[in-house]
Amino acid sequence: MQKVFHHEKELNFKMSEFKTYHPIVNFTYFVFVIGFSCFFMHPACLGISLACGFTYSVMLKGKKQVKTNLIYMFPMLLMMALINPAFNHEGVTIVTYLPSGNPLTLESIIYGLCAAVMIVSVICHFSCYNEIMTSDKFIYLFGKIIPAMSLIISMTLRFVPKFAAQLKVVANAQRCMGRDVSNGSLIKRAKSGLNILSVMTTWSLENAIETADSMKARGYGNPGRTAFSIFTFDKRDKKALICILLLGIYTLLGNIMGGMYFRFFPSMKIAKVSVFGISVFFAYLLLCVCPIIIELWEVRKWKALRSKI
Amino acid sequence: MKKHKNKIIAGVIIAIVFAFIFWYGGDAPGLRGWTPESKDDVTVVQNDEPTKEEIKEAEKAISDIPVKEENAPATEENKPQKQDKAPMTSAEKIAMAKKIAESTQGSAEETTFSAEIKQSNDEYSKEQGMVINEVTGKDPYKTNPVPEGKPVPIEPENAVITDKALTCTLSVRCDTILQNLGWLDGEKVDLVPKDGVIFATKTVTFYEGESVFNVLVREMKRNKIHMEFENIPIYNSAYIEGIANLYEFDCGELSGWMYKVNDWFPNYGSSRYQLKAGDKVEWVYSCDLGNDVGGHYAARNGR
Repeated sequence: MQKVFHHEKELNFKMSEFKTYHPIVNFTYFVFVIGFSCFFMHPACLGISLACGFTYSVMLKGKKQVKTNLIYMFPMLLMMALINPAFNHEGVTIVTYLPSGNPLTLESIIYGLCAAVMIVSVICHFSCYNEIMTSDKFIYLFGKIIPAMSLIISMTLRFVPKFAAQLKVVANAQRCMGRDVSNGSLIKRAKSGLNILSVMTTWSLENAIETADSMKARGYGNPGRTAFSIFTFDKRDKKALICILLLGIYTLLGNIMGGMYFRFFPSMKIAKVSVFGISVFFAYLLLCVCPIIIELWEVRKWKALRSKI
Repeated sequence: MKKHKNKIIAGVIIAIVFAFIFWYGGDAPGLRGWTPESKDDVTVVQNDEPTKEEIKEAEKAISDIPVKEENAPATEENKPQKQDKAPMTSAEKIAMAKKIAESTQGSAEETTFSAEIKQSNDEYSKEQGMVINEVTGKDPYKTNPVPEGKPVPIEPENAVITDKALTCTLSVRCDTILQNLGWLDGEKVDLVPKDGVIFATKTVTFYEGESVFNVLVREMKRNKIHMEFENIPIYNSAYIEGIANLYEFDCGELSGWMYKVNDWFPNYGSSRYQLKAGDKVEWVYSCDLGNDVGGHYAARNGR
C-alpha cells in the first residue's frame, strides 16, 4: 500500500508513458512537431504549438518547469517584439514614426511577436525532446546508417543538460572545500566561480574525447557489429505511428495547399475560413497533443486498474 | 568501393541539390526560366541566360518598336495595358537596355531625349567644389563627376538649412510596375494604384538648404504614405528602400526607386542633392535598373 501511494504521487508530478514507446514513434513525432513549429507562421499554429509544447514540458518535468519556462519566455518575447520593428518598417498600418524618420508599423510588431513565440515554442519542444529521446534511442535509430554523425548529434544534444548536472556536482564539491560562489567578497567569489568554470571546461573536453574513445574501443560503427536493445515494435507503437504519420502528412499537405495561409506584409491577411482550413488546424492540434493524450490515457487506465484491486 | 558507398551517395545528393538550386535561382518568376502564365511547358527547362540568337531576335523585334518618350506621364491614351502586353523576357530586356544605351552614347545629338544627357565633366565638377580623387576619378563617396550645368553633391552634414521657405514640385509614381505586373510580388498587387500615381504632382514647401530626401520624408509623413529608407555611410546618403510598401526587388531583381530632378537622374544619393526653388522632383519606380524610366546613365554612375 505504501508503495502504491508513493508511485501515485510520482505519477502526478512526472509522466513518461510516451517515453516507453518505440524510438521511431518518438522520433517521428518530434520531427513533425519541431519541423512544423519552425515553419508555420500562422498565429493559430503558433498558439497550438506553444500551448502543447508548454503543457507537455510541464507534464514531463514537473511543476517547477512552469517557472523555468516563464523566466526565459518573457524577456525573449519582449526583446523580439522590440528588435523587429527597429529594423523592419514594412507594413501598411503606421502606428507612429521612430526618431530616425522611419515608420513603426503594426505589422512589424506583430511579426516580431510571432517570431518570438515561434522560438519559445521550439525551445519548449526541444526540452521535451531531450527528456523523451535519450541518446540510446537516437543511437539505436541512426547508429547503423550514420554512425559518426549520430554519435556527434547525440553528444551535442546531451551536452547542455549534462553540463548543467555536472556543474552542480562540481559546485557542491568546491563548496565543501570552502570555495563557495555565494560567500566572501566579490573578488573571492569571482575567483571561485572562475575556478569552477575552468574545471568544467577541462571536464567537458575530456568527457567528449573519453566518450568517443570508449565507443571506438567497443567497435562502434564497424560493419557486422550488433547492438543490444530492448526496444520492441508492438501493436500500440504501430497504432501511434500510423496516427502520427497520417496527421503529420495531412497537416503538411494542407499547409502546402494553402489551408494555413497567412501573410504579414504588406498588410495582414488570413486565408478564408473553410471546412478544409479548419480540418488542417484540427489535424495539427491533434498531432501536437498526441503524447499528452497518451499520458492522460495511461493515468486513467492506472486509476481504473487500481480501483479494481 | 563498398566502403565509400555512402560517401559517394551523399556527394551525388549534394550535387543534385546544388544543381536544382542553380536552376531555380533568380528573384522574379519571369527570370526563373518559365513565366507564371504558361505553366504547361514547365517541363522544358529553359536557361536563365538568353542565348546570342535569342538576343538578336529580340533586338530585331524591339527595333521595330519606336523608342517611346520615356518620361511621358501615363495619360489616358498611353496608359499601360497589362492584359494584352506580356512582360518582356530577359533577352528582350537586355536588348532594350543595349538599344537605349547605344542611342544615347553613339549619337548623342540625334534625339531630343538623349540630348539631355551629357557626359560627366571633371573640370566643371572641380570648379563647383567637388573633391575628386586623381587615382579613382571619384569623390570620397564614390561619386563620379557630374555633367556640366548640373549641381554637385552637397554633404547633408555641411548643408545650412535656413528659415527661408521655398517651393518645388514633387511626385511619386510607379507606372513601370503596371507594365511588368507579371514580375510583381503576388502579395503586393493590390498596393499598386490603377494609374501608377502614388503621390500626384504637387507644389510643396521646403526650406533653403534642404535636400530631396528631406522633402520626401516630410511629405510622405504628412500624407501618411509609408516610406522606408536606410542610411548608407559609404555613399553618405539615405537609400530609399520602399515607398507605399513597394520595395526594391518587389518587381523583379532589377527593380527599385530612383529620383530625378528637372528630368535628370543624379548620380548621387538624394540626401546630397540640395534643392533650389522651382525644382521638379520626381520619384519613379524602375523595374530594369533605370532603363525603363530613362535613367540608365544614372545606374552606371554618370558614365
